[in-house]
Amino acid sequence: MSGNKLTYAQLLETNNLIQQNADETYWLCATRTVQESKIFPVSAYILFSYLNCFYRYPVLLKKLEEHMSAEEIGDRARNSGIKIVAWTIPCFYLLGREMLINWGVIKPTDAVDDVIYVMDFWKRFQLSWHRNNGNLTNRMANHRGQILPEQRLQVYHADAFECRIGDELHTAAQNFMATIAQYGFLVSCECRVTTHNHGPYKISDTREMLVREFRELSEYDYPWLDGVGKDIPYNNLTVNMVLEGININLLDDWGSFESEPEMKPEHIVAVGLYTQDNLTHVPMPVGMGSREELTATFNDLNARIKAATAKLWEQMAGWTRDQQLDAGALVYFAIAKEMAHIAGCYEAEDWMMIDERTERFRPLLNDEYGNLFLGELVGYISTPSQRMHDYYMMQHTDLPRRALSYFPYSMLNDTDYAPTVGPMRPGVSNLPPKVDRYRTSQGVMSQEEYNRASREFVPDPCNDKFRLLCTDWVKYHYDTPLADELFKLEQQHSRLLKGKGAGLTRADIEALRAKG
Amino acid sequence: MTKLLVDTDKYGYQSEFAVVEAYNSAVKDLMRQRFAAAGKPWREFVFGPDAAVVTKADMEAIEARLLDLGYRFTPSAMSSAIERPEAYKDAGLNNPDFSFEHEGAPTAAADAEGRELRGAGDNVVTYEKNMSGIARYVRTSDKVLEYLTNGVPADTIAIVDDSGGTLTAPVLEKFKGVLCAGGTTRSHLAILTREYGIPCLMNSRLSGIKDGDRVEIEISARAKTGEDYAHGVDASARVWRLTRG
Repeated sequence: MSGNKLTYAQLLETNNLIQQNADETYWLCATRTVQESKIFPVSAYILFSYLNCFYRYPVLLKKLEEHMSAEEIGDRARNSGIKIVAWTIPCFYLLGREMLINWGVIKPTDAVDDVIYVMDFWKRFQLSWHRNNGNLTNRMANHRGQILPEQRLQVYHADAFECRIGDELHTAAQNFMATIAQYGFLVSCECRVTTHNHGPYKISDTREMLVREFRELSEYDYPWLDGVGKDIPYNNLTVNMVLEGININLLDDWGSFESEPEMKPEHIVAVGLYTQDNLTHVPMPVGMGSREELTATFNDLNARIKAATAKLWEQMAGWTRDQQLDAGALVYFAIAKEMAHIAGCYEAEDWMMIDERTERFRPLLNDEYGNLFLGELVGYISTPSQRMHDYYMMQHTDLPRRALSYFPYSMLNDTDYAPTVGPMRPGVSNLPPKVDRYRTSQGVMSQEEYNRASREFVPDPCNDKFRLLCTDWVKYHYDTPLADELFKLEQQHSRLLKGKGAGLTRADIEALRAKG
Repeated sequence: MTKLLVDTDKYGYQSEFAVVEAYNSAVKDLMRQRFAAAGKPWREFVFGPDAAVVTKADMEAIEARLLDLGYRFTPSAMSSAIERPEAYKDAGLNNPDFSFEHEGAPTAAADAEGRELRGAGDNVVTYEKNMSGIARYVRTSDKVLEYLTNGVPADTIAIVDDSGGTLTAPVLEKFKGVLCAGGTTRSHLAILTREYGIPCLMNSRLSGIKDGDRVEIEISARAKTGEDYAHGVDASARVWRLTRG
């Protein structure tokens, strides 16, 4: 039974948070089908990762909060970007729980303290990260992800360089984005966690802006990028892309987007390039001094990333299946590790290892079982634990299915359950050990140096003076010196806006762009 | 006999797929035995030291029992079948005479323009005109390495098994077009072909197209959206064989 007395309200809220993820899990997965790869046993490693999340997240997320609260991590993530943690933390974790329920290894009542905590952590992080739109998820915003405040958007809007299909900048940007997207899939063993999009943001009646984040490009946490990523000078890159003549009508919690009409290269009419991490105050422009410089920068990065892609592909094509399984599972499981960097408590032993409790199940995870069991869990929603009574109608399909099991309320009276999976257990890995070298915006550091720097660093927009100065405060105080100071922080590296302060409107920015 | 909670289930009784049911039942059976042997309440057993007696060796034994019955797994990653040929079916990846023969692939005799319908797929991006090229199967890392070393032959429309972006990563941008037998227009390969501006059909159901055949793909067809998938709307683009290779 639980160490703390459970309440009815706690279970009601937790089941609600579970259900919000359940509906979206089906929708997201049904539009993708089961992912397969000739190189990676993808479904098998996904299942492996779910188990690792179930056994390790409760302890690791609590460890983060010993250093920084989930909501403060949300503030930092909003300021410096983050991978796709929105859907992944709760769903990977809960799908691990679902697997174990179907195996009879746990009951739906077990690990209740852990689940309540993980879901509450996720909720607080999400609410903070989504502070500027008030939603818990993109799904709740009808699949829209407006994360950034006006002062950041004004800089992105102002400094983006115009381009047209066929010109040098457009060609360079388009080539770069294709190359980096492909590298991202390879780095993350066939998944999309290194690429994240948010927006759209309205630029004019005919233009919208999409912000695209490409993360973990250089030598950082993944052992397979040691050496391979050495010549990529930025670990994270952000491309803001202005689109004309289309409406981004869907941006989901995986960071994928759709548009009406469908997006084509000719719709891209302006671009900008930045780098940021948890040690930057605000995004740092990359090659943004002129159109020519930006074109050359895209071309240079494109060549570096292409070279790294070929090296990485050759390395990965030579891996054993166990190495592939470990790497893929660790990419999925460790999606939350960026939070550990933000909090300054990252340890490779925590995030780059398969827990020994997870490891027990490795022999089950052949390709066929992996594909079919994952397909049942997230596509067909057909495992026994997911079947409901015949009157039940699941969102999207109307079938009597529910993707994720609730906690039964009867457990308030029945105490034969274990509230937590308990402390961390040792981990194993078939991959080479990680070289103690992490590329950050402040240079290459050891793990210890990086953690220390992270603990000591507070980005200016997140310090006590500015942290609570939200859009609703700006609305009524834009004419104050404090608002000017807040905006000037963002404008400090801006080509067109440096020192302009808080009074500009979107139309003013357009006028400044027209003047050049 | 000791029962687990999930042994009593009014609505769910077994998994859809036999191999899933076989494995899941075997793990449940193991848990029944270990729980009975522990002689403790569930709350003390489930995450306690007794549960740790469910071991990797137990899971290996579950697999061994299935293999002993003659069952062989269908591989998806190349490494699986290469490392354990005794456990996996031969995927025929190196058969030079291979062709996809998908159930439900639409086929028809040659039309007035001499185009023989040989399949259909989900169009990723609509282009003004259809496109033709030489069909070439790309199913192994050896083939990719060959292309990486010697270059991709001109006019190649690559036919690939699955919707991943990793197998073809170093050579994808050199393809004229892609026919993918898996995935959807929101899968990774679809995202990448869109970024590279390479015409692509996902979820392709093909029949009788062999390496070297000249094919035409209907990339002028409507692109299939996420909403189409969610509501089961068919938006297939056709694939024709023009000449035998």
